Amino acid sequence: MRRVPHNPEIKAPATNSLSLSQVQIAPADKDVRGNRPMREITALIVDDSAVMRKIVARSLCQAGLDSLIVLEAGNGNEGLEVLKAKSVDLILSDINMPSMDGLEFLRQIQARNLAPGVPVVMITTESSEEHVKEAIQAGARGYIRKPFTAEQVKQRVLPLLNAA
Amino acid sequence: MHTNPWAVRSPLLGGAERAKAMTKSLRDSVELISNPSNLDSSVDEVFSLTVGVHCRRAWEAAVPDTESVTAVVGFGGLLTGACVFRTGGTTACAICARMTGMEFPEIDDTVRDAIGEICNILAGTWKSKVPELAAHCDLSVPAVITGRDYKLHVQAPEFTIRHGFRFEDSFFEVTILCDGLQ
Repeated sequence: MRRVPHNPEIKAPATNSLSLSQVQIAPADKDVRGNRPMREITALIVDDSAVMRKIVARSLCQAGLDSLIVLEAGNGNEGLEVLKAKSVDLILSDINMPSMDGLEFLRQIQARNLAPGVPVVMITTESSEEHVKEAIQAGARGYIRKPFTAEQVKQRVLPLLNAA
Repeated sequence: MHTNPWAVRSPLLGGAERAKAMTKSLRDSVELISNPSNLDSSVDEVFSLTVGVHCRRAWEAAVPDTESVTAVVGFGGLLTGACVFRTGGTTACAICARMTGMEFPEIDDTVRDAIGEICNILAGTWKSKVPELAAHCDLSVPAVITGRDYKLHVQAPEFTIRHGFRFEDSFFEVTILCDGLQ
């Protein structure tokens, strides 16, 4: 489990490591339009690619979620361990992963009632109607195909958070 | 690779579902599947959205014989084969730097991860160009090879599409290999 704060402006660090330090982002007290309080959002990003987890986190920041805490997992098993220990507001998961894939991860979340009411959005290269149906049946509330834009993340994720 | 060595674990189709799907055939769509422009548009889409650059076809260049990075994503289902992404170490680091906003002086785990993910997204985007392929062809997780003076020998009896691409001073090549089509 990795707890990683993210800054929407990515800057070149002194090292090439993706293990960012545990620095808490000061929560913003206004939303992107600056006219109402903004709550802190904790998002779990599950993807076997650390680079893709970073890109997804950056897209969430670009979508306006400045007050964001990101938890990361490299596969479904790791994701379940995170959910046992932490409560989250949003889950974004890849499908094709080693150890436990994204659909089994979804089913396990439902079966163990680990994140009741928490929206799950699949972010994956699989894009056929069958794949989408399978994910929705397993409990996903949204579906984003890779490659994606920050605008697509905003359009699919923010309504789910506002409704939660 | 005489048979697809990258075992495709499909989380989506297993057992009875796969058998049902296998009754379909992609033979009638072979011209559409092997259309080279699908690869070009996939590369442009993936690189513009994920790497932030526009690529153009390059006929004259080649991946250098110095240290290179090769990522392979296997196809399984009605089409078996692989998507292979190959580039030099310098370009691999440049791609990773653009994806992450960090500097990478040499190939490390993050660079290998980034190139594997690019290959994975390319494979998914390419197969999404043909609806039957998107529904009945699954992807393996990426395998990434780095080193010098190695060659990848692949049998692809159905078809091979290999295109070189360039952005700025960087060059890479993408190959779609089809060794079986049902």
